Amino acid sequence: MEFDLARLKKRPSFPFETIAVAIAFSPRLEGLLGEASRLAKSFNAHLVLMHIGERTRTKEERLNTLIEKLKIDESHIRIIWTEGQTVDTLLQLCKLHVVDLLIVGALRKENMLKFYLGSLARNISRKAKCSVLLLTNPDPAGSRYKKIVVDGVENPKTIHTVNTAIYLAEHLKSKEITVASEVHMPTLAMTMAEESTAPEASKLKKELQEEEASKMNEMVESCRIHRDIEICQKMIKGKPGYAIRNYASNKKADLLVINSPDLKLGILDRIFTHDIEYILEDLPCNLLIVHSRI
Amino acid sequence: MAKLSHSDLIVFLVAISTMLIVSRVVAELGKRLKLPIVMGELLVGIALGPTVLGQLSPDFFNWLFPFDTNPNISIALDGIFSLSVVMLLFVAGLEVQLPIVLRQGKTAIATGFMSMIIPFFTGYAVAWFFPEWFNIAPDGNGRFLFALFLGTALSISALPVIARILMDMNLFKTNIGMIIIASAMFNDLVGWLFFSLILSLSGQNTNHMNLGYTILYIVGFGLFMLTIGRIVLNRVLPWVQTKLSWPGGVLAMCLGLCLLCAAFTESINIHAILGAFIAGIAIGDSVHLREQAREIIHQFVTNFFAPLFFVSIGLKVNFIENFDWLMVTVVMVLAYFGKVLGASFGARLGGMNRRQSLAIGFGLNARGAMEIILGTLALNAGLISKPVFVALVIMALVTSITAGPMMRRFLD
Repeated sequence: MEFDLARLKKRPSFPFETIAVAIAFSPRLEGLLGEASRLAKSFNAHLVLMHIGERTRTKEERLNTLIEKLKIDESHIRIIWTEGQTVDTLLQLCKLHVVDLLIVGALRKENMLKFYLGSLARNISRKAKCSVLLLTNPDPAGSRYKKIVVDGVENPKTIHTVNTAIYLAEHLKSKEITVASEVHMPTLAMTMAEESTAPEASKLKKELQEEEASKMNEMVESCRIHRDIEICQKMIKGKPGYAIRNYASNKKADLLVINSPDLKLGILDRIFTHDIEYILEDLPCNLLIVHSRI
Repeated sequence: MAKLSHSDLIVFLVAISTMLIVSRVVAELGKRLKLPIVMGELLVGIALGPTVLGQLSPDFFNWLFPFDTNPNISIALDGIFSLSVVMLLFVAGLEVQLPIVLRQGKTAIATGFMSMIIPFFTGYAVAWFFPEWFNIAPDGNGRFLFALFLGTALSISALPVIARILMDMNLFKTNIGMIIIASAMFNDLVGWLFFSLILSLSGQNTNHMNLGYTILYIVGFGLFMLTIGRIVLNRVLPWVQTKLSWPGGVLAMCLGLCLLCAAFTESINIHAILGAFIAGIAIGDSVHLREQAREIIHQFVTNFFAPLFFVSIGLKVNFIENFDWLMVTVVMVLAYFGKVLGASFGARLGGMNRRQSLAIGFGLNARGAMEIILGTLALNAGLISKPVFVALVIMALVTSITAGPMMRRFLD
C-alpha cells in the first residue's frame, strides 16, 4: 500500500471528509452502519466500509441488505474487503484512503484478560493515526450528541481537540459542550504535610486551581466559538483520565472527546493505568479520540 | 511478659514528648530561615544526644534516654523507632506513582536511569578501589557490600524535598518539573528495591538466603503487590471508604496493610522497609484513595513518626567525635559529581537543552530525609561506620539546601 503522505501530513483534525467504518459483522453492525451513515450525511463526507476478513456471499448479502434497509446512498460509499492482521491492516487502509474519522463499535467494558491483552477496538484507539470514534451502543437511527464533554488537559493538542468538538457539535446540533480540566498534583499531600500551615495549604491549593482555571479559560477563549453552542468550563480533581471518565459518566454525557495519546502505549500502561487507559478500561459513553496530526 | 515499671513509663513518655515538642519548635524556627524541617529535627537530636546534652549534663541525658542502663526503655524506644522507619517508607511509597514515570516517557526514563547508573558506579568504584578512605577492610565481603551501599546511597533522590522546591519555584506542573518528579520516583523505586537486597545480604538477618532467591523474592513480592495486589486494593478500597467509618476505617486498613506487608518481607529475611514501601506504592497508586485520606496519613507520619526517627539519630551518634573531613569531602564530591553529571546527561539524552539538563541534575541532587533513613538503616545493619553515616547526613543536608538555588541559577 502506498500512502499519499503529503495529504496526510499536518492535515487538520476536521472537517471530516472521509469517514470509515470498521465492520466485523457482529450483531451491532446495523447500529454501526446507521450511525456512520448519519454522521457521513451530517458532515457531507464519503463513507468507506472496511472489512478485514474473508469475503463471503453471506457477508455480502447481509451488508447489501443493511445498506438498502438503512437507505444509504450507494454512490457515496466504498466497500473494501481485504484480509490480514486486523488492526494493522485497518490502520493502513485508513492512511491509504486519508480517513479523517474511523468509527468502531466497542463494548463499554472488556473482561480483565481481554483488556490487558488488548481488544480490537482498544488497540485501534491506541494506535490510530486518525481520529477514532468508539460507539458503545450504536443505534440504527443514529445517537444523539446533546451533551459533549471535552478533556481540557494542558497540552498543545487540546486546542485542536476542542475545535474539533465544536465542529462536531455544530453539525450534530449539540446543545452543550463542557471543557473539563483535571487538577492533579501528585506529592502535594506529602509536601503540604511537612512545612505548611493550614492557611498556607489552602492558599496554595486555591492558587493552583486558579492558575489551572486561567489557563483553561485562555485556551477556550482562543477556540473558534459558535454562538449557538454553550461552552462551559469545569475544573475537576483527580487523576488524569480517571477524573474525566467519572465526570462524563456522572454528567451522563453522550460523547467524551479526548486527545490522541502522546506516547506509544503498551501493556505496562494498562497495568499501571494512566490517562486514556482509564477511559478505555471502562468507557463512560461514546468516545471520540481526536488525532490532531500536529 | 516484661513490662515498663511506673517510673520507666514516666521516663519513656517524657522522652517521647521532649523529642516531639522540642523538634517542632526548632523546626518551625528553621522554617523561617528556609531550612529543611529534617535539619531542625537532626539538630534537636544532636542537642539532646551525647554530642551536646551528654557532654553538658551526662546524668540528665542518661535519665532521659537510658539506652545503656535501662533495657526496657531502650527496647520500647527501639520499637517506636523501628515503627517510625516503616511508616516513613510507607509514605515515601505512597507518592511513587509509576504511571507518572510512564507518562513522561523517554526523557524521564533516560534521566531516571542515568541519574542512578552514573552515581552508582562512581560510588561503587571509589569505595572498591579506595576502601581506606572509608576505614573499610580491603578484603572480605564487607568491602563489596559497602561499595554496593555507597553506590546506592549516591543514586537515590529525595522526592519530598524536590517536590517542595518545584512548588516554590512554580515549576511543578511544567514539563521540566514533571520530568524531575518522575525521575525522582524512578530513583526511589529502584534505589529502595536495591537497598533491600543489600540489607538482606548484609548478614543482619540470621538465615541467609542465596542471592538468586533474595532477588526472586524481592521481584516476586514487588510484582505481586503492584499487579494483583493493586487490583484487589482497587476493589476493596471503595468498599472500605463507603462502608466503614470515615476516615478511621481507611486509615486502619492502609496502616494495617502496610504493617502486614512489612512483617511479611521481614519474615522472608528481606527488611521490613521493603514491604512498607511496596504497600505504599500499591495503596498510593489507587484512584480510590481519597486525597483527604492521603493527607491524614502524611500528616500523622510526618508530624509524629518522622521527628521521633530523625531526633533519635542524634541521640545515638556523636556527630563531633565521628566527623571526618576527608570522608565528608569525598562523599560530597561524589554526590555532586555523580548525580549532577548522570541526571544532566540523561536529560540531554531525553532531549532537554544544556541549562535545563543542569537544572534537572541539581534538582535531583537533593537527597534529604531519604538519604538519612537509608544511612540509619545501613548503620544499624553494620554496613557502614559512624563517620560514614555522619558524612552521608551532612551530604544529605547540603545537597537539599543547595538544590533550589542551583536550579534557579540555571533556569532564571
